[in-house]
Amino acid sequence: MPNTATKRIAVTFDAGASVALATPVPPGYLLPLLQLSDSALPTGAFSHSLGLESFLHRGLVHDEATFSDWLTQFIRIQLVHSDGLAIRFVFEAETEAEIHRVDRELHASALPREIRAAGVKMGARMLDIAGSVFPCQELENYAAAVARGDCAGHPAMAFAIAGKSLGVPLAELLGTYMFSAVTSLTQNAIRGIPIGQSAGQRVLRAAHQEVSDGVVLAQTLGREDFGVTAPGLEIAQMQHERQRARMFMS
Amino acid sequence: MTQTATIGRLGTHSEWAGTLSLTIDRRGDRCIAVKQFHDGALRILRPHYLDESGQVCYVIINPGGAYLGGDSYLIEVDVAQGADLLLTTQSATKIYRTPNDRAEQHMHVRLAANARLELLPDPLIAYREASYGQVTTVDMDPAASLVMAEVVTPGWSPDGRLFRYDEVRMRNEISIGGRLVVLDNLLIRPGVGSPVDSMCFMGEHTHLGSLLVVDARVDAALVEELQALLAPLDPEGQLGITLLEGPGFALRALSHSTEPLNKILAAAVDLLRERWTGQKPLNLRKY
Repeated sequence: MPNTATKRIAVTFDAGASVALATPVPPGYLLPLLQLSDSALPTGAFSHSLGLESFLHRGLVHDEATFSDWLTQFIRIQLVHSDGLAIRFVFEAETEAEIHRVDRELHASALPREIRAAGVKMGARMLDIAGSVFPCQELENYAAAVARGDCAGHPAMAFAIAGKSLGVPLAELLGTYMFSAVTSLTQNAIRGIPIGQSAGQRVLRAAHQEVSDGVVLAQTLGREDFGVTAPGLEIAQMQHERQRARMFMS
Repeated sequence: MTQTATIGRLGTHSEWAGTLSLTIDRRGDRCIAVKQFHDGALRILRPHYLDESGQVCYVIINPGGAYLGGDSYLIEVDVAQGADLLLTTQSATKIYRTPNDRAEQHMHVRLAANARLELLPDPLIAYREASYGQVTTVDMDPAASLVMAEVVTPGWSPDGRLFRYDEVRMRNEISIGGRLVVLDNLLIRPGVGSPVDSMCFMGEHTHLGSLLVVDARVDAALVEELQALLAPLDPEGQLGITLLEGPGFALRALSHSTEPLNKILAAAVDLLRERWTGQKPLNLRKY
């Protein structure tokens, strides 16, 4: 296969556009999408545990298995019902007012102060990066709304607006965002628990099915499910504000 | 924004199982319902005055004793400028089996400038195979004051097991001047999804207490003061309290029974009463 690919590229150089048209290339959105979903994207995700650190502190998360369990719950609860649904509602929005409403509900549904702050902070970074990776009017409008204070900002919002403008299919948009968030949290767990890099990769592999299920859920849940959270996670996220000797900002 | 409540068929009900509508205003140095309407399976007791503050206390009663499947209840409360209402229930809200359609309660609250509402209902108990959806929307003036508490218990079934209900949803939407500031959306569905006994859900705990306060006088210092006051009442380390935009604060606590939660919520409510209105600690069971 690699040989064939090389040959085809060579042919396009020789034969010009007519052959190039028949040559498979990645869809135009793939590389921007990969860039925006890279876990090393400087949004500050490496400094947000989103409640995980409270469970580390209590000793409930202490190894690969317990972290994997926590991650599964985090995907099913917050990642699907807040970030995932926000992405879908942005994708389905037909007007800017609808996008603003999604932003407001997403922000208002984050009761723990550090989770709201994390959304605003990472949202601003994601918006800035997305605007440079794929400048478009929709992102500019959203950035202006955030600057005016009409919107709060959230990484899922900026990611969804960029992805929608890029023409990314919804399932791919959801899958890449969720897996990127899962990867960031796993990197944080590798440092925070700590667990080994190989253990981290096993957790990520095991999360594939959960993320896929989450993508389906985010496409099937209703508006009344937006922002649903769970008391144990919320309490941990609130308690983190008072935790001493913290590695993470949330 | 208050029109975004989305449980069930909000706004399209032609028949409610019970409705209650109250408009509270100040008459002289006391507050009273200046308009009052009820229909079906919702009533209120005559007004009480628990102290000399002028705050009126109304008690909602459900003569049927429980919410049944397919029943929808509508409660509308308007508190006029400067008026002060304490709204509670006569007994726990019980949800029995709802074989076909969930039971629902829709509550819409409007608070004018300097109006105050303390909404302190008895616990919610959902029994085996019950589904319940509750939506409370509050549209308040920036100078109004809102305190709302809730305790959710796991119910029980004839086999003695807890958490045998199908689903409990409780959604609170609080807007200030038409702008949504708090969307508190709780869904407990013990049979599916994230297990109810998982660490992110309720762990090994069974009872949930929740308090939302939106009031311009809330600040970070008050949240810290509450944390210091309440921490000793929470031996299990399952209390979270956080500053909300509004401003306001949210409190969540988990426990194995109702009593510790009632104590935590009462201590918080009493501190606010003492601080803001000079009222004595609340004792709803005196009368």
